[in-house]
Amino acid sequence: MAASSGNHDKKSPSGPSEGTTFDDNIRLDGAAGGLFIKAGAVGLGALVLSVLLGMMQHDGGKQLLHSYLVAFMWMLSICLGALWWVTLQHLVKAKWSVVLRRVGEILASNMPLLAILSLPIVVPVLLGSTSLYPWADAKKMHADHLLEHKTPYLNSGFFAVRWLIYFGFWALLGRHFLVRSLRQDESGSQEELSRLARLSGPAMILVALTLTFAAVDFLMTLDPTWFSTIFGVYYFAGCVVSVHSFFALTFMWLQSRGRIAKSITIEHYHDLGKMMFAFIVFWSYIAFSQFMLIWYANIPEETHWYKLRFGGPWGAVSWTLVICHFLIPFFGLLSRQIKRNKKTLAFWAVWILVIHWVDMYWLVMPQLSAERLPLSLLDLTCLVGLVGVFMAAAVYQARRVNLVPIKDPRLAASVAFENI
Amino acid sequence: MAIWTEANPFLDPPAGENSFSRITHNVTRVAEAEKPPKAWFIALGISSTMLAIFGISIAYVFWNGIGSWGNMHPVMWGFPIVNFVFWIGIGHAGTLISAILFLLRQTWRTAINRFAEAMTIFAVMCAGIFPGIHVGRPWLPYWMFPIPNQMSMWPQFRSPLEWDIFAVGTYFTVSLMFWFMGMIPDLATLRDRATSTPRRLIYGILAMGWRGSSRQWHRYERAYLILAALATPLVLSVHSVVSFDFATSQLPGWHTTIFPPYFVAGAIFGGFAMVLTLAVPARQFFGLKRLIAIRHLELMNKILIATGLMVGYAYGMEFFISWYSGSPYEGFAFVNRAFGPYAWAYWTMVTCNVLIPQLHWFKEVRTNPWATLAIGIAVNVGMWFERFVIICTSQSRDFLPSSWGYFIPTPFDYMTLCGSFGLFFTLFLLFCRYLPMVAMAEVKAAHPDAHAAHAQAHAAVTEAARA
Amino acid sequence: MNEKASTAGAASGTAKSHGLLAEYRTPGALIAASKRVRDAGYRHWDTYTPFPVHGIDRAMGIKMTGLPWIVLACGLLGCGTGIWLQWWTNAVDYAWIISGKPFWSLPANVPVIFELSVLFSATGALFGMLALNGLPHPSHPLDLSARFAGVTSDKFFLLIQSSDPRFDERETRALLQETEPAGMEELPEGPGLDDRLPAYWTYAMVILAVLALVPFGLIAKARAEKSSQPRLHAIGDMDWQPKFKAQRANLVFADHRAMRLPVEGTVARGELFDDDHFYRGKTSSGAWARTFPKQVEPSDELMQRGNQRFGIYCTPCHGQLGDGNGMITQRAQDIGQVWVPPTNIADERLHRQPVGQLFNTVSRGLRNMPAYGAQIEPMDRWAIVMYVRALQRSRHANLSDLPEADRASLK
Repeated sequence: MAASSGNHDKKSPSGPSEGTTFDDNIRLDGAAGGLFIKAGAVGLGALVLSVLLGMMQHDGGKQLLHSYLVAFMWMLSICLGALWWVTLQHLVKAKWSVVLRRVGEILASNMPLLAILSLPIVVPVLLGSTSLYPWADAKKMHADHLLEHKTPYLNSGFFAVRWLIYFGFWALLGRHFLVRSLRQDESGSQEELSRLARLSGPAMILVALTLTFAAVDFLMTLDPTWFSTIFGVYYFAGCVVSVHSFFALTFMWLQSRGRIAKSITIEHYHDLGKMMFAFIVFWSYIAFSQFMLIWYANIPEETHWYKLRFGGPWGAVSWTLVICHFLIPFFGLLSRQIKRNKKTLAFWAVWILVIHWVDMYWLVMPQLSAERLPLSLLDLTCLVGLVGVFMAAAVYQARRVNLVPIKDPRLAASVAFENI
Repeated sequence: MAIWTEANPFLDPPAGENSFSRITHNVTRVAEAEKPPKAWFIALGISSTMLAIFGISIAYVFWNGIGSWGNMHPVMWGFPIVNFVFWIGIGHAGTLISAILFLLRQTWRTAINRFAEAMTIFAVMCAGIFPGIHVGRPWLPYWMFPIPNQMSMWPQFRSPLEWDIFAVGTYFTVSLMFWFMGMIPDLATLRDRATSTPRRLIYGILAMGWRGSSRQWHRYERAYLILAALATPLVLSVHSVVSFDFATSQLPGWHTTIFPPYFVAGAIFGGFAMVLTLAVPARQFFGLKRLIAIRHLELMNKILIATGLMVGYAYGMEFFISWYSGSPYEGFAFVNRAFGPYAWAYWTMVTCNVLIPQLHWFKEVRTNPWATLAIGIAVNVGMWFERFVIICTSQSRDFLPSSWGYFIPTPFDYMTLCGSFGLFFTLFLLFCRYLPMVAMAEVKAAHPDAHAAHAQAHAAVTEAARA
Repeated sequence: MNEKASTAGAASGTAKSHGLLAEYRTPGALIAASKRVRDAGYRHWDTYTPFPVHGIDRAMGIKMTGLPWIVLACGLLGCGTGIWLQWWTNAVDYAWIISGKPFWSLPANVPVIFELSVLFSATGALFGMLALNGLPHPSHPLDLSARFAGVTSDKFFLLIQSSDPRFDERETRALLQETEPAGMEELPEGPGLDDRLPAYWTYAMVILAVLALVPFGLIAKARAEKSSQPRLHAIGDMDWQPKFKAQRANLVFADHRAMRLPVEGTVARGELFDDDHFYRGKTSSGAWARTFPKQVEPSDELMQRGNQRFGIYCTPCHGQLGDGNGMITQRAQDIGQVWVPPTNIADERLHRQPVGQLFNTVSRGLRNMPAYGAQIEPMDRWAIVMYVRALQRSRHANLSDLPEADRASLK
């Protein structure tokens, strides 16, 4: 039935039919150079400024590293979210998203950059600095019998191995999807797509595992005594909700510059909005499950993590998450009209990206300071730096490629589809 | 085997002048046939015998008390709660197919959604019985509802068991409404084709005067979409609440934060296995091979791998964190599961849930209906054992070794379990015979002929807009 | 059905017309026709299809339904109900501490709030849809058309009602004719339901309805009446259990006693109480012992222990001072109960009693006082006796009993 409806989609008169050239502006070309320089300059400038500011703090780089970790995990969630999203689209052979897929592939192929950007977090661990992770000091670990138990996992050597596996796998996978997809742009081969679909199954398993353990390693072990089995899923929920917001904003920006202006319709934004809404609810569900179970069982081994986050000024941040990461966007995104209006959707996309940053802040920063909010200019400069560099790299990737996989046979269906 | 094909009136190709009437004919002839195939009677005979066993075993337990079962200290939950969680999980696939796949625009779901929804309702009915009979005083269930009573007592809303009442009750009600609303247009079809007064009257009352008005269809579709959007978080919440029964406690092996999504994934996994277990014979006996095609089985098998891997992920995370936590009790609970007295149950579970479904990576396996059926049954067994492992291993060996024990089920445990399948299959067979087993209106709407019209209309509207 | 329809059709010449019904072969043709009718400005018209035809909403100019707002309102009502119900029952009307959680503990109340929101929303969606659609709608002039029965299988129809201000028998017919329908007919006005309920169905339903009221009647009767009879036991409810209680008869044994005596000449483990002085407070001659047994060595700890045990077991009646003015006595006087006050322990008579006799009173009770031998260990009973002796002494003390240092403070 669906196969025949596929036939129908090809007949659909409003989309371009097979064989004809794709009638839209889908190249960044000339605009790329200027954008690359601007974004890169802002990004690098902000990163250099962050280092200078961090050195002025005289706290062994603690503030700098924590602020940097917040910004890095935020940026990683978008890149990783994009990688997951591309894998998913291939896995389910999605039709609606074909016109959006190339941009996702470009964002996902930024993983080598993120591997480099993660060095400021990884290198201090290898040098045995406990500015971020208390377990980086083997002596301290052996002093505490509970932590000593974890040394087979929490040691800098094994951490480095895991870091290599995570970023190596992500970089290879992201690269592979982009290169194959670009090759398919030329050959138009259906076989190429089937091969990617077959690859995406095992790839999804590995993405799930690496994402989980990366979240555990980079965030959960900030407090090496605390543990929660759902933690990987929690970070995953944040990745998905923020990547869809980031997509919505990226496409609006591209369209405002006249790129893919005809092919991406309000229907695609509606779907992105639905995903944002769905995963706002999913995030809340996961966050509530984790909190409620720990609150209810009331075992001190687990509650201390939340006690920290409900004490002092952190209580206000926790409540901000409840209200601004769930209640307000839930009602805000409920209506169909809001998701089908670019301006309102853009508002909520920005809102979600901001509150997702607060979420990362809430995960990391209480470990730095329990009594006060360690707000610092560094939080801002690190974020601007990473976004700038990330965007520059994305524009660089995109400079000479089609922003739409023009020979994907499902493209016509993707352009023509309508929501109920 | 001959009996399954011989004398089966449903195996002739459907007649009709166009594709829509062929769909109507193909589906309604099951409900309209003078006599169902012999296989149906044999199946009904077996299932109603099992249902009778269910009745007898429950009556015996009511009369003699809960001691008739193997439940004892420290395994107080035993079979009844294993069965409860098992059945409530089965229901989840129906909602997933009817609601979540609808929201994801998976039109292939129209082939299976109706009977998957029916399955949900019957499974929730089976599930609801178990906590009721497990409490030991089945004549006082109203204590669980917020009804003002002679003792001036209210239910204790801070208890996960009370949340269960609301979650399962809401789930049943909403599933029933969703199912019924989906059937209104099809009941109208049966009403319009009815040849006898009782049929016309009963289908007529149920169809409520539906005449297919487009203005009504418009609101109907909106209501359907809304119900689907409501059922999606609901289905997540139901098994999450069931998992809270365990995870809010402090018992090692129960208290872990991944339980809610893990239970939901497991429920959908087990439910899909049950859909496949029912779909393969149903399409065979009732001649629905054109509507429930191999393609549909293949897609469901893919979902089976995906959800099976999610369950495997949760098994893995539990093990990792039980070691990582450094808590000796947690560590022991999991070592005990894998290598303790219940190791046989644990490895049955791992084999059936994680290893066997991997066969579906091969296209030859997932496109073979009988392999699909066999793997579906294996997963059902595995998912039952998953609940058994969670409940019995954790309860049998908790913090205090002096109060350890080993759960041994009695014949009444087995009778109740087997009997609940009798209830489920009896209801399911009656549904197949008397109600539209496939959502005709939805299948027609997803048919290419219906889409051609849409395409024309779309083109015309676009032209009009340009002009 | 056909026959009736044709009679109805024949009558249509005289009866008022309900409207014009046109049939189309494909959904595409229906959509094209709908646009013509919409553009012609008709308002009282509708199309009928076996499935929701996509694009027809726009072709007919159907506005978006307000159903989502009904659902939202119901959802908020459900949410509010969930909050109110749990707050009122668990924090106000029947406040009760459970597992150290606050009476009003939001995390534990979220699941029920959520479930009720969904339940109310879903109910609103179904019944809102039915209400907006005017269902159930048992009778309609369309039911008189024989060909219309195919609408739920594969036929597509368009109906323009004669009530439409633009309706004109000739023009409307011409308009529909232009859309090339597969068939067209004029619908007569009138009740469409030509199958009346058979009489036996009506009787059966009335009887069933009356019978359905019987259980409610019985409940109402039971609630209104008072009865001295024991309640009905549908199921045993653990009131009767297959076991023997103390002092009951049992026909299995020759002496018909359920309780069995120990075998002649045997003593159960730990129950050989052969030290009369320690266990019964008697000397070997059978008189009350005047000294504490040798196992009881007076010490501060033992005195403290006696104080504590006395506080637990004796003060409710005898009071802290042992003067018989315990809480129970005070309460009995407050409510005017007939009450024999407990003995004043400091009484001269008791002061003179041997310790063995006091021990015996504690162990076996006296007059109104119950026996405490089963509840208090022998050593603790001796500790109580020792403390009682101290109390008696304190009630009969004079200044010379005090140490030098304390005398000064009393003066």
